[in-house]
Amino acid sequence: MTRRELLSALAAAPLLNAKEAPAPPVSIARCKSYTEDLPAVLGQMFDQLGGLARVVRNKTITVKLNLTGSPALKFQGRALGVTHYSHPKMVGAVAYLLEQAGARRIRFVESAWGTGGPLEEYMLDSGWNVRQLKSAAKNVEFENTNALGLGKKYSRFKVESGAVFPAFDLNHAYEDTDVFMSMAKLKNHATCGVTLSMKNIFGITPASIYGDDAGDKAPNESPTKGRVNVCHLGKRNPAASAPAEVDTASSRDPGYRMPRIVTELCAARPIDIALIDGIETMAGGEGPWIRNVRWVQPGLLLAGFNPVTTDTVATAVMGYDPRSPKGQEPFVKCDNTLLLAEARGLGSADLKRIETRGLSIRDATFSFR
Amino acid sequence: MLFACLLAASVADWVPVHWPSGDVKSLELLKGTAVNCVLIEQAAWSKEFADAASKQGVDVLGVLKPSKDALDQARKAKDMGLSGVSLEGDFDASVPKALADSNIRFVEIGLRMRMRMEGAALVSATNQGVWPGINTVEDTTKAAPSGGPWIDTNTGFLRFARAASDLPVWIANPPPPKTIIPVERYLQTISDAAMSGARWVITFEDDFAKKLIARDAKTLEAWARITQLLAFIEEHKEWRMWKPGGQMSVVQDVESGALLSGGVLDMIAVKHTPVRPAPTRRLNTAMMQGSSMAVNVDPSGLNDAQKQILREFTRGGGTLLTGPPGWKFPSAKPGEITLAKEDLEKLDAIWKELNTMTGRRNLGARLFNVSSMLSNLLVSPDGKQTILHLVNYSNYPVDSVTVQLTGTYKRARVYQPGKKPQDLAIYPIEEGTGVDIEQIREYGVLLVE
Repeated sequence: MTRRELLSALAAAPLLNAKEAPAPPVSIARCKSYTEDLPAVLGQMFDQLGGLARVVRNKTITVKLNLTGSPALKFQGRALGVTHYSHPKMVGAVAYLLEQAGARRIRFVESAWGTGGPLEEYMLDSGWNVRQLKSAAKNVEFENTNALGLGKKYSRFKVESGAVFPAFDLNHAYEDTDVFMSMAKLKNHATCGVTLSMKNIFGITPASIYGDDAGDKAPNESPTKGRVNVCHLGKRNPAASAPAEVDTASSRDPGYRMPRIVTELCAARPIDIALIDGIETMAGGEGPWIRNVRWVQPGLLLAGFNPVTTDTVATAVMGYDPRSPKGQEPFVKCDNTLLLAEARGLGSADLKRIETRGLSIRDATFSFR
Repeated sequence: MLFACLLAASVADWVPVHWPSGDVKSLELLKGTAVNCVLIEQAAWSKEFADAASKQGVDVLGVLKPSKDALDQARKAKDMGLSGVSLEGDFDASVPKALADSNIRFVEIGLRMRMRMEGAALVSATNQGVWPGINTVEDTTKAAPSGGPWIDTNTGFLRFARAASDLPVWIANPPPPKTIIPVERYLQTISDAAMSGARWVITFEDDFAKKLIARDAKTLEAWARITQLLAFIEEHKEWRMWKPGGQMSVVQDVESGALLSGGVLDMIAVKHTPVRPAPTRRLNTAMMQGSSMAVNVDPSGLNDAQKQILREFTRGGGTLLTGPPGWKFPSAKPGEITLAKEDLEKLDAIWKELNTMTGRRNLGARLFNVSSMLSNLLVSPDGKQTILHLVNYSNYPVDSVTVQLTGTYKRARVYQPGKKPQDLAIYPIEEGTGVDIEQIREYGVLLVE
């Protein structure tokens, strides 16, 4: 079976009921500062989950970072990594840890906002020391997946019973990998309520195809905008080289569309490792462009081998009921992504079925309300 | 004593401030600072103040506003022992002529379109400027990430003025009215002018002025930061004479919008592409040497000799962006200092062309993590040293700035007000030399050699 066939088979998995969805454990750890020994803390967390080596040894690992929004947008002048971006020290620690666990190749990816240029330059613009990160482990590489990048063609990921798109055309990096890791921040999201390891994957859609300035027919390999019109609002279709929307008569409400796009992306391109950084972050929204956001220091890390269970626990740690229906916090304006993912059989959103290791949810709770 | 002999410092070295008091005691606040030229309102003129200032090495210019008796008032200033007068506003052309005939020194701080570029003027100055800083006008319809902030700046037209004239360049724009101005904004405004080789005529917001004269403790702290920055700038005044570096030239003049803010020069500066203003009036072969790209903003404004220079430039391998006929900006009109809406649309077209032309090429320096900053690359007269001015327009320090320079350098050092110069590690990169700067507060200068 080829990688492509395997991914298609996974995406086509039958919808399960909530009790059948997988419910692997989630590790929670206290980590008050980025100056702590992050490899040691993370290493212990993955050990609590059965070890990282069994998943990554001799494999190519693709790590999706969270570098949302232009690096020019800082919150109160703070470094991006302590508010809404992945923190470079976490990136260095993960690279080190993956190498120690036997990873053959480590590729950090993100669809850099408003550019198809090298991810390294975007990281420099974010104030990161790229030379230092490259030396954190052997065979570390970076790729901007906002366009074709280093690939020759886009990879198509089919969605079984997709409500919004029947398939996604993505950068090759999401196919040319053995293990896919989502490295997210513990944050609220203005539309989706929370943005954790699953919502982070929304950013794997290339703006060259799904962006507001995507070509009508072919991808625009020099994208400069976000994805509001294609994804959030459904005002236009992606570039015609990619599959068009399933039903343009369906709801245009971002609160309907976004949770479904996220869930369907997670079904099409499954996440093998979920890591959520809540050491220092932002509450009230996903970035400084959201009104009334605030800087918070929960001092927490969460990890799991299933994104739904990990996000479910993370949502609870943020002080919310992960099974809240639309209209209740945190899903005030949107459908509950966790429940949609559970209905797809991607993982359980039922706290009663999810074992936590390390800190308990009660001890870790930090209110984002 | 001859009037001219009262001048304590040469005009080129004047560090001017609109001083809010005629009280002799207020001069204490200037002791030990770089300020050596105060501009005071007519109601505050006195011989006592002028004498005390002169003893302290400070020149006093009496501020005059347009009026029928401006000449009489100027004579009164001279009689009181003031060093000269500052004509602030749109004066009739007969006034400066009469002052010159009367051997009264004067500076003209008026409309931008009337800035003196040549002749016997003491300075090239205007009181029309934008208030520099990050434009914080919120788009309330937006709930999604966007690009970087726009920085309001006077650097584009100031850099043109410096290139077009041998006179010292002053800008005397006042702070916005009824606004509390944090000290950082004063520092940004001073630095905005300084990095362009010009000087801001410091003008205090009313409340700040009152508190300063009353010696309010917090205001004195702010004043100390301002004077520290002024001292830093004047300690390195030789940098003001260095020439613009980089490989991109903009051929433009007053007639094609060079005195308007938000134009081509500002657009390129926001992209942190080093740019060399090439005033059409001074265009020559030497000016284009070292450039690999050029923008000719107004092809119809060139004479045959100037056209020939640009032909030689392209024959020598240079890339010239020349727009179609009609691709021209208006010159500045009275009361107008920024581009009109229809001109912004033209600018957008130029911007797209420029972006295509430059791409991600390094045209002298590429900077990273500088979204709240503007920069200016300058080269020493002997070509052995290069400096990069970095002005931070946010009210927070910026950490981890990366600079990638073309060319090979052996040493890098960063200078910042109130800090000892810091040697920096350099490393080779594909295009030349890389340097990482740990932190820039309000203003820093990277020197490489």
